[in-house]
Amino acid sequence: MSHFLEFIDVGKIYPGKTEQVEALRGINFSCGAGDFICLLGRSGCGKSTLLQLVAGLEKSSSGQMIVAGRELDGPSPDAAIVFQDHGLFPWMTVQKNVEFNMKARGTPAAERRERAKQFIDMTSLTGFEERYPHELSGGMRQRVGIARALTTGPKALLMDEPFGALDAQTRAKLQDELLRIWEQQRTTVLFVTHSIDEAVLLADRILVFSPRPGRIAADIKVDLPRPRETESPAFADLARELRVLIDADRAVD
Amino acid sequence: MQLRRALGLLPLALLLIAWQVAVELEVYPPVLLPPPVKVLMVFVDDWSTVMANAAASISRVVTGITLSFLVAVPLGLMIGRYKLLDTMTDWSIQIFRSIPPIALIPLAILFLGIGDKPAIALIFLAGLWPLLINTIFGVRNIERTLIKVARAARASEMLVMRDIVLPASLPSIFTGLRLAVGGGWLTVVTAEMIAVKSGLGYMILNAQLTFRSDLIFAGIIVIGAIGLMADQAIRVVRGYVCRWQEGLNSVPE
Repeated sequence: MSHFLEFIDVGKIYPGKTEQVEALRGINFSCGAGDFICLLGRSGCGKSTLLQLVAGLEKSSSGQMIVAGRELDGPSPDAAIVFQDHGLFPWMTVQKNVEFNMKARGTPAAERRERAKQFIDMTSLTGFEERYPHELSGGMRQRVGIARALTTGPKALLMDEPFGALDAQTRAKLQDELLRIWEQQRTTVLFVTHSIDEAVLLADRILVFSPRPGRIAADIKVDLPRPRETESPAFADLARELRVLIDADRAVD
Repeated sequence: MQLRRALGLLPLALLLIAWQVAVELEVYPPVLLPPPVKVLMVFVDDWSTVMANAAASISRVVTGITLSFLVAVPLGLMIGRYKLLDTMTDWSIQIFRSIPPIALIPLAILFLGIGDKPAIALIFLAGLWPLLINTIFGVRNIERTLIKVARAARASEMLVMRDIVLPASLPSIFTGLRLAVGGGWLTVVTAEMIAVKSGLGYMILNAQLTFRSDLIFAGIIVIGAIGLMADQAIRVVRGYVCRWQEGLNSVPE
């Protein structure tokens, strides 16, 4: 079968003043539509850079990236991105923020309102439509970010440590909700995180990154049944295995 | 809160008392230093003169600053957004903003004659630079994630300018407007002493020639009061237009 997402020997080098920084080297991987993939690794290992490449916000220095059968050339209409610092427009109400991606592609106002309502309901933001971002909690802001990303029906949802700045309880709640939404929408998710537990809880497949230059150190399939039990021995075993993989790099530091 | 606000009147009250005391002690003869009551009477006896001149000054400032707003804001948005324009204009802006508009009065009279034209031209220049510089500053300080969100959503440049760059810069534009109106007000009074035959500047200079020191004092009070009211008015408008900003700024103005 053809892959939804395919990376062939992708590399990314940032030109620097004194020396170049090689952020990614020899990234090869592919996945089918509807997979939930976590990019796991410590900071500076290129996982966010990879996400920016898929989002079309950065250009690769070498290699080929194919999304939905097309070679990637700038931001793709098939992908939507959610940032850790939520990226909400502070001067727009929740409603306007959720509508923005649709507005950007010229969706008529009536349709925007209707679709926005659908995703505002889905992310439990009903009643907060006319609030401004500064009036919302961190968790609610992130829901707005997710709702906004979903409105255009993206085939790929790119999430850059979306829950990284949230407290543990809010985080757990949003993880559950994300899984529920993913099961409904069946969009491919690329999810960047540095939390091992989060990766094991969410992913079908975990790409473990190692730094300098950023590359995929391991590609691990997660076969645990859903909903996953974080207390189960299988969960703990996999988490331990991942910790060993990630710590292997620390010896080099 | 209201009571605290009244504290702002304290220095003014002290000044008034000091003035009255100086009059009682006859530090200067009454023809030079009129008692406060006599100055107050100016607002009764010469009300129409004072108001007509104040209206002339205000209309010049409104016209001049409106013109600088219409030029500086679009230009500033462009310069802030496009690096090439910034490089092109940076030195010129730094040079021209260092020239006090007052220094251009002789030229303004040579080219534009005596009347409204030179005064408005000078106010335009006085307002142009602070508005331009603050607009550019506002655009430069837009959170980078917000621009990324727009790019990932494939928003048109028109939409980015209107829905992101402009609103994000508004708080800074209002700072520029406050400085511009302040500068414009200083300029109009000076310009009226030389280049025009009406307005508060003309009125107090003329009062000096006719030994009406009470009218001079009254004029100065009106100039200060209008300056305060203009500034307060801009703050109120800013508070409304930038209400989304509430709570984002922890530092009170």
